[in-house]
Amino acid sequence: MAEDVPLIPREDVESYARARLAEGYDYFVYCAAAHYPASDTGVDRVLVEYRVRRLPKDMLAFRVEVPTGETTPSLVGVWAGADWQEREQYDLVGVVFAGHPDLRRIMLPEDWEGHPLRRDYAIETRHPPWR
Amino acid sequence: MAVIDPHINIDDYEPEGDLVVLNLGPQHPSTHGVLRVKLWLDGEVCIKAVPYLGYLHRGVEKLCEKLTYVMVTPIIDKNDYLAPITNEWAINNSFEQLLGVTPPPRSQYLRTICAEIQRVASHLLWLGTFGLDMGGALGGGATLFMHTFRERETVLDLFEALTGARFHYNTLCVGGNRHDIPAGWDVLVRQTLGVIASRIDEYESMVHENAIFLARTVGVGVVDPVLARALGVSGPNLRASGVDWDLRRDAPYGAYGDVQIKVPVRTEGDCFARYLVRVEEMRESIRIALQLLDGVPEGPICALKPVKLPGAVKIKPGIGYASIETPRGELGSWVIADGTERPYRCKIRPPSLHTVALLPYLAPGNNLSDIVVVLGSLDPVLGEVDR
Amino acid sequence: MAMNEDKERFEHPVYSVLEQVPGGGVGLTTVDRLLTWGVTNALWLFPMATSCCGIEFMATACSRFDLDRIGTIARGSPRQCDVMVVAGTITVKMAPRVKRLWDEMPEPKWVIAMGSCAISGDFYRDIYSVVPGVDTFLPVDVYVPGCPPNPEQLLMGLHRLKEKIERRRRGEWVERDPAPVAAGLRVPFPRIGDPDREPDMDAEQLAAAMAIGKHNG
Repeated sequence: MAEDVPLIPREDVESYARARLAEGYDYFVYCAAAHYPASDTGVDRVLVEYRVRRLPKDMLAFRVEVPTGETTPSLVGVWAGADWQEREQYDLVGVVFAGHPDLRRIMLPEDWEGHPLRRDYAIETRHPPWR
Repeated sequence: MAVIDPHINIDDYEPEGDLVVLNLGPQHPSTHGVLRVKLWLDGEVCIKAVPYLGYLHRGVEKLCEKLTYVMVTPIIDKNDYLAPITNEWAINNSFEQLLGVTPPPRSQYLRTICAEIQRVASHLLWLGTFGLDMGGALGGGATLFMHTFRERETVLDLFEALTGARFHYNTLCVGGNRHDIPAGWDVLVRQTLGVIASRIDEYESMVHENAIFLARTVGVGVVDPVLARALGVSGPNLRASGVDWDLRRDAPYGAYGDVQIKVPVRTEGDCFARYLVRVEEMRESIRIALQLLDGVPEGPICALKPVKLPGAVKIKPGIGYASIETPRGELGSWVIADGTERPYRCKIRPPSLHTVALLPYLAPGNNLSDIVVVLGSLDPVLGEVDR
Repeated sequence: MAMNEDKERFEHPVYSVLEQVPGGGVGLTTVDRLLTWGVTNALWLFPMATSCCGIEFMATACSRFDLDRIGTIARGSPRQCDVMVVAGTITVKMAPRVKRLWDEMPEPKWVIAMGSCAISGDFYRDIYSVVPGVDTFLPVDVYVPGCPPNPEQLLMGLHRLKEKIERRRRGEWVERDPAPVAAGLRVPFPRIGDPDREPDMDAEQLAAAMAIGKHNG
């Protein structure tokens, strides 16, 4: 059961999101990101997926591709729920959302180095003096 | 004097009394885990609340990338530790959807019955700890706690009889269940649920007419349905705000298509409405479980051959999302498969994270003691917030 | 007079009074026995409950298992407690707070590591954010294995702690519980009591614990 998820260019994301909100998609489900290193597809990039619902039955997802080192517009202004979700994806995957009002680390301490869910981050990274 | 603006710049605020900065948590009995909330108080009234998360960040999503599909289930159990079976179901649902496998009907029924019994246990624990949060309102506070835990133990006994474990069951696998119903289990379930159904009335008589309980919950922490939808709040918290939405009814999975589900909805949106919705949900869950127990079909419990090797399940490349309704709301998992025996990326969409996001909006304007009640009524589980 | 293995004197004011009274040494043994009875039967617990094990701790404290009947009470403040029960996974972000709370508890004090996460980090032990066992920064007295341990196991652990306290106060040598071997622990991390553990590590951990509150992390 493969669903058809459109890939939106980064510059159109905000207007696309606002159009969906106007259609009644006002329930924010999640924002998720996955890192694809250059060795996999040639370009070091992050795939970001947003999913929203129009209660009770309709569900819609759209994706954005962000090459490493560039930013994607934040959707906090459209759905308030994107706030913490984008912070989490910034913290763990390292994708930068431009225009986010408060883009700090959420899960890890603020002095942490690196983004754990990137494919090149070693799972056993040490963090003295605690591990 | 009450300022209800969650994004207020605290430097711009001119307090009437002393401005106190208070750290609630991360080790505090009434934050329901290791949540830390930084509160700015003007006298006793909260001006601003900023939650800090991540004190239980165990890196489950990174771990999932290192494990095979078969090995993920017991790890995922620990996310929402009040309802482990729904975690297993949510993640296996995604895997099965990507794999194109449907569990056999007997497995579907068993999963649904277990999830409903688990919902009763989870709400019982919530009711007990909510009573603790109230402190002296309920005759010393611990009275309701002791009562609900008595019944919760009987539910755990049911799971122990089914899976051998009290807590983290590891009973689901990709394509079905691991443990079949033992002889006499259905009798045990009927007996236990019958007792709990009568005890729920008892709790209501303790709580429902208690003047202090009413004074502390009615009209406190009102959630606006528009805000709740934008934040992605789900489950009983959303239904207490008048949004009639339940995945069990609106996108049936498991055996929910075979039963009539009555979804309790309240429009008030305050702590008391959330209490009423949860109590009503317990009754409804008991009804669903008993209804399904009568018609459990015969047959196999797993669609795939019993797994002997951890790398036995491979999923062809694809991206999928599947979600179920847990006691706290919509729990989903976004899985990227790359053709190997391990997921490429596995994101859990926890309902509690979105619930805690309500706190900066609910806390301002409330007394410190009411913030504890509001937080308790939202029923977050920090294990799944931080993962 | 009883000493614990760290050679710290464990002294009650009654002792110094009795030692000054002529012939008080005779009564000393009796008083010591009385005090031991008192200490072991009034262990106040500080539930350092972070995750699933915290729920089993609650279940132990509740109606069916009733932790109170062996003289224990769970308290919310570290300043009132004798035993810290570390129930749940301790992360790098949480560890300085646990250390700080432990330092706030008055002597004499003990630690129970409840559940495999607290003992060795369990299957999270290789993860970047999880402390591989609380015995890397706390002197654990009793290990209660399980994921989570049944309430009966926690009760058993408390009884073992009682025994241990009694024997130590009698002046007997009590061997340390062996730290469970974490098979496959890819990052070897020195635990408290390990011969190769450097004192610098204790100082660093203490400094990290004292630094919380200076920033918002």
